[in-house]
Amino acid sequence: MYRLNIYIGSGAVLLALVGLFLWIPQDTGTGLIVRVRRQVSIGDALAPTIAFTLMAIGGALLLVERRKHTSAEVSIAPFLHTGALVAVIALGLLLMRHAGPGILLIAEGFGATDTEYRLLRETFPWKYIGYFLGGVTIIGGMASLSAGRLQARTVLIAGVVTIGLVALVDVPFDDLLLPPNGDY
Amino acid sequence: MQPLDYIAAGIQAVIFGPAAFELLGVPIPLTLVMVFAGVVTGILVGATPGLAGPMAMAISLPILISFFGYNVEALLPVLGFLIGIMKGATLGGAVPAILFNTPGTPDAYMTTLDGYPLTKQGQSRKALKVAHLSSVSGDTFSDIALFVCAPFVALMVERHLDFPEKTALLILSLSFIAAVIGGSPGKGLISVALGLIAVFIGGGEDFYPRLSLGTDALAGGFSIMTAILGILIVGAVLKEYEDLWHRSNLSGALERIVDHGDQRLTRAEILRIAPYIGQSSIVGTIIGALPGIGTTLAAALGYQLGRARHERRRSEGAPAFGEGVIEGVAATEAANSSVSGSNLIPVLGLGIPGNAAAVFIILATDSIGGFTPGPSVFRFSESVVNTELVLVFGLFTAMLFANLVNWTFGGAFMRAATVMVRVPKRTLLPVVLLLTLTAVYAQEPSMESLWFTLGFGILGYLMRKVDMSPLPFVIAFVLGGSLENSARQAFSATGGDPYFLFSSWISIFFLAGSVVTVVLALRQKRTDSTQA
Repeated sequence: MYRLNIYIGSGAVLLALVGLFLWIPQDTGTGLIVRVRRQVSIGDALAPTIAFTLMAIGGALLLVERRKHTSAEVSIAPFLHTGALVAVIALGLLLMRHAGPGILLIAEGFGATDTEYRLLRETFPWKYIGYFLGGVTIIGGMASLSAGRLQARTVLIAGVVTIGLVALVDVPFDDLLLPPNGDY
Repeated sequence: MQPLDYIAAGIQAVIFGPAAFELLGVPIPLTLVMVFAGVVTGILVGATPGLAGPMAMAISLPILISFFGYNVEALLPVLGFLIGIMKGATLGGAVPAILFNTPGTPDAYMTTLDGYPLTKQGQSRKALKVAHLSSVSGDTFSDIALFVCAPFVALMVERHLDFPEKTALLILSLSFIAAVIGGSPGKGLISVALGLIAVFIGGGEDFYPRLSLGTDALAGGFSIMTAILGILIVGAVLKEYEDLWHRSNLSGALERIVDHGDQRLTRAEILRIAPYIGQSSIVGTIIGALPGIGTTLAAALGYQLGRARHERRRSEGAPAFGEGVIEGVAATEAANSSVSGSNLIPVLGLGIPGNAAAVFIILATDSIGGFTPGPSVFRFSESVVNTELVLVFGLFTAMLFANLVNWTFGGAFMRAATVMVRVPKRTLLPVVLLLTLTAVYAQEPSMESLWFTLGFGILGYLMRKVDMSPLPFVIAFVLGGSLENSARQAFSATGGDPYFLFSSWISIFFLAGSVVTVVLALRQKRTDSTQA
């Protein structure tokens, strides 16, 4: 834990220095104090400057905090597992965003329809395609990853649960938009 | 209006407000129905290991707002539901702790110490009854403390604090939270700083949105919903999933519970546990009123004090704490439940959230509008009706009704909620995640918000991974805007005095308190490390 604290403390101080000397000066419209028509007021840079200073102090405190020296190693395996989970969620979100319009594009290719997605976003089945496929990917993918194997039963449960969520969230509420329909 | 008129108006706002439905021609008030639904949901959620009250509050809030809309009439039903969850979850958390040695919520860990041995002795139903009685008693005591203290705190603040003092008070609150949460002031400060930086992105008064890197995506800043749900819920789901990966899913192999002997809670037993309930209720209420110190510490302290009391009175050969005594269950449950009412004292009196549940109360009022928690809420105006004060008394009525539900039906719901322990986490957690993303999208219909939520979720996971509490981040994110506005106003009001924070003894006292809190926490840390 001691070594980890050194890494976190150093990272925080480094980030604070980047923020204070590069990011804030380059990316704020006004400085620490603004004088407009002889009126002095606080500029946009002051609040983030204080926040980054706090971060530097926090990092420095972490570096000086006396801790018992241990050689506790942070294993990389859990990070890889969580990385895979995040990848599954990201894949689910991409499917959620693009599956409906993508399938519509294919349908257009076959001459089945020439309507754009925006006009179909509140009609069955288009309004549910992205959410269903994305939802099944997220639930089924995460559960399978955790179990270490992909089973038909898991996918089936994911499908049923996603349909349940549609029934719970979309059916009773007229004004509520499921992803990605609000983007169109 | 006189104070009593305000109280009557608050009660009427609940009883004679919009009706949910009619039963035998009698309109059933919507707020009461929502409170009831919230309590039941809270008990079920609390009884499910891996879920917690704030998770259910987070998911339901955007959905409720979408359903009820952005108008003042929505406030009482929505807040009633959230408060119901908050109260129900502390009750439900005891169920798996007692029956299966698995705390449903982190604060129920201490309940396992005596609750599970009681189950092993065939006294599970009695243990549940003790948990129910203690939990609801502690909660009711805490609510009374809230009703009495919040108006006084607010009036004191309103009378004595101007902009510089309010700015200093916000700084003190953030320092306190940074110092006491997570066991390391350094990590607490980093967490606060990250929350402030996140909320300052895209903000400011200039035409150019600051820290936006010239991108449209960051120009609008991060919405409070994406940041908080990402850090608190998605981060927790990712961490829980990692923990699940480490150990096998416990929900598959539950022991069969066999009760024997008299399961009734006798009058003598109630009298025996009453002092423990009273002692823990006071401890929990005091801890709940301080920002940042949560139910877990209250439960631990209540248990320790209860054990000390029990040791002083224990006869030779009688079981001690940890060996299955009802006093142990009573001491813990009264302490962790008595936090829920008093943690609304800083919320309603100062507008400062002290824990995750309180954050969602602030978030609800912030999203719906028409009610801004803070000292001005308790202005007893005689000439003009203060509608916010009427709403506060409506909220107090809803809390009393939630307690009534807990007193009357809570025990039965606790027993019914045992089924929730069997829900497999492996499926439940992704469902929570998808529901969270759906809730974020309901509030902010753009895929960009979902990506931001995922990004904050990864940050929340990493923070948990390195033992850095995400709560200071969340509270800093909620208070960051107020802190900056308050400082801007104080600076202007003092004619551009750069030392405006040192313009009065009260603000100097608050600032000194901020430094002392961090220094003391740091010294405590050093002492602990040296002893280790």
